[in-house]
Amino acid sequence: MSTSPRFYSPYDESFWSSVSDDAASMQRCSDCEQHRYPPSACCPNCLSTNATWEKISGIGHVLSWTTLHKQYLPAYPAPTTIVAARLEEGPIFLSNIDGKEVNALKIGAPVKIIYGDHPDGYRIPRLTLNCTSIEAKR
Amino acid sequence: MNYPYPMSIHDSAEAADHTISNVAAVIGIGQTDWVADHKSVREGKKPFDSYGYGATAFKRALDDAGISRSEIDGLVVGHNASFERAGEVYGVNARWGGQADAVQSVVTAVMAIKSGLAKVVAVVYGHDQRSAKVQYGGPEASGGDRHLSYVYHAPMGLTSQGALYGLMYRRHMELTGATEWDLGQVSVAQRQWASRNPRAILRKLITIDDYLASDYIAEPLHLYDYCMVNDGGVALIISETSHARCRHKRPVTIRAIGRADLHEQSATLKPRLIDFYHPAHRLVANQVYNAAGIGPKDIDAFYVYDSFSCHIPFALEGFGFCGVGESGRFIAEMGIGPGGRLPINTSGGQLSESNMQGWSHQLEAVRQLRGEAATPVLNCRHVQYVSDVVGKVFSIIYGVD
Repeated sequence: MSTSPRFYSPYDESFWSSVSDDAASMQRCSDCEQHRYPPSACCPNCLSTNATWEKISGIGHVLSWTTLHKQYLPAYPAPTTIVAARLEEGPIFLSNIDGKEVNALKIGAPVKIIYGDHPDGYRIPRLTLNCTSIEAKR
Repeated sequence: MNYPYPMSIHDSAEAADHTISNVAAVIGIGQTDWVADHKSVREGKKPFDSYGYGATAFKRALDDAGISRSEIDGLVVGHNASFERAGEVYGVNARWGGQADAVQSVVTAVMAIKSGLAKVVAVVYGHDQRSAKVQYGGPEASGGDRHLSYVYHAPMGLTSQGALYGLMYRRHMELTGATEWDLGQVSVAQRQWASRNPRAILRKLITIDDYLASDYIAEPLHLYDYCMVNDGGVALIISETSHARCRHKRPVTIRAIGRADLHEQSATLKPRLIDFYHPAHRLVANQVYNAAGIGPKDIDAFYVYDSFSCHIPFALEGFGFCGVGESGRFIAEMGIGPGGRLPINTSGGQLSESNMQGWSHQLEAVRQLRGEAATPVLNCRHVQYVSDVVGKVFSIIYGVD
C-alpha cells in the first residue's frame, strides 16, 4: 500500500485534480443539486448517477477537532490537529489545521479551506480559522 | 440537553418483533488463555494463527456444552477468517453458516435456528491481530483498500480509529460540558473489574489521577481510553431453546435482539459527530426492551463494545439509562465498577481484560447469568449487550429463568 493512498474509486481523480489547482471541487447531483463528498458513483439522496464537478467556496464552521500526540503518518509529525468542519455546501470536510490556531478552536468558529504541499509531492486542502485575512488578501 | 439531529432514519422497526425472542440459548462457552497468549506474543513467539486460537476456544466450548462436534450443524466464524478454511480446520461440515463479527454471529445463529436451517450452531472467533501486527491507523492501516473513514482522510493527516473517537468525544464535551474526568471513570472502573479477574491481561489498578496524568493519544482521549490489541480466541455454542434445556443445566436464553443502522455521510463522520448514533440507539432500545418486556432499570449488568471508553457514555445516553449529557454524573452516582448499582463490562472489557472485538463480552454475559463470573453480580437475571461499530447499532438481551 502507498504511504498516502488517495485514489479509491474512479471519482477521486477529479477531486485531487481540482485540489492541485488550489480550487477544490466537489460533485453536485445534476438532478437534486445536492453536493457530496467523498466522491462516489451516485447521489445518496436520489440515486442519480448524473453529477457535475463544481468549485466549492471552501467556507464552513467547526464541528470538532482532535490532536494526535503520536506520529502515525510520515508526513505528519506529532502533534497534528485535525478539524471536522461543516462546509456551506453541506458536506463535512476533515483536514489538518496549523498548530498555532489550536487554542482558538471552538464549535461554530468560521473556517476556510487553504492549500499546502504534501511531502509526497501533491497539493492538499487544509483548514484555517484565519478567514478574514484570507478575504482581505483577495 | 438534546443534540440537534434530524431523524434521518425510518422507524418502521419500532413495532417490536418478538419472533426471535427466546428461540435460542447459549449452552457452551470457551476461550483461549488470553494472559498466556499475550505473554507469549510479547516474548516474540506466535503460539497460534487465527484458526489455532479459534480451534482451542471451539474445543473448550464443546466440552463446556457437553456435546460432541458431530452435533454441530451450523458454523459462524469471525470476519477475519475464511469460512471454508475454518470448516476444514475445525472438521465441521455444516449445513448452514458464514462469516460475521461478534454480535452479528450471535444474531445469525439465532436466525438460522429460528428458520430451521440449523439446530446447534458454533460461533468461533480466533485472531492473531497482535502477533500479525494488524494496524488500526497509519500508512498500513487495515482497510486501506476501502473507503473507511480512518484511512480515507490520511493524505490530510487524519488516521486511526482513536482519532474518530477523539473527534466524537471532543464535540460531546463542548456541547454538554462533559469532562475528561467524567470519561476517566470508565477506565478506572473497568480496571477494578479486571483486577479481580484472573482471565484479564491488564490487572493493575489505576486511579482517576493516573488516568488524567496519562499521555494523550488522540486528545482529548488518553492512553487508558484505548483498548488493548492482543491475540486470542472465543467460541460459543448456541442451540434451539427446548434442546438447550435438555442438554445444559443452566442455558442462557437470548431474550431479544435489535438492530438499526446509520450510514448517511459516514465517511465524513456525520453519524458520529452530528447524531452520536443516538437515533439508532433509540430505535434499538425500543426493539429490545419491548421484546424482552423490560427496561433499562431491569438490566442487572450492562455490556458495551469498548474499543474506546467513550462508547460507554454514548451507550448510556442513547439507550435511555440517563439523558444526553448526563452520563458523567450518572456514572458517579450509580457506580459502574464492583459494588456499583449498574455494573458495566464486569470482566474489565476490551480496555483491561482482552480485546476480542466484541466476542469476550458475550462470554462474560453468559458467565454472569450462570453465576460463574470472576466477580459475580448478585441476582443477575438480565444482561444487555450493545455495540455500535461503524454505524451498525446492535443490542442483545440475555437472560435466565
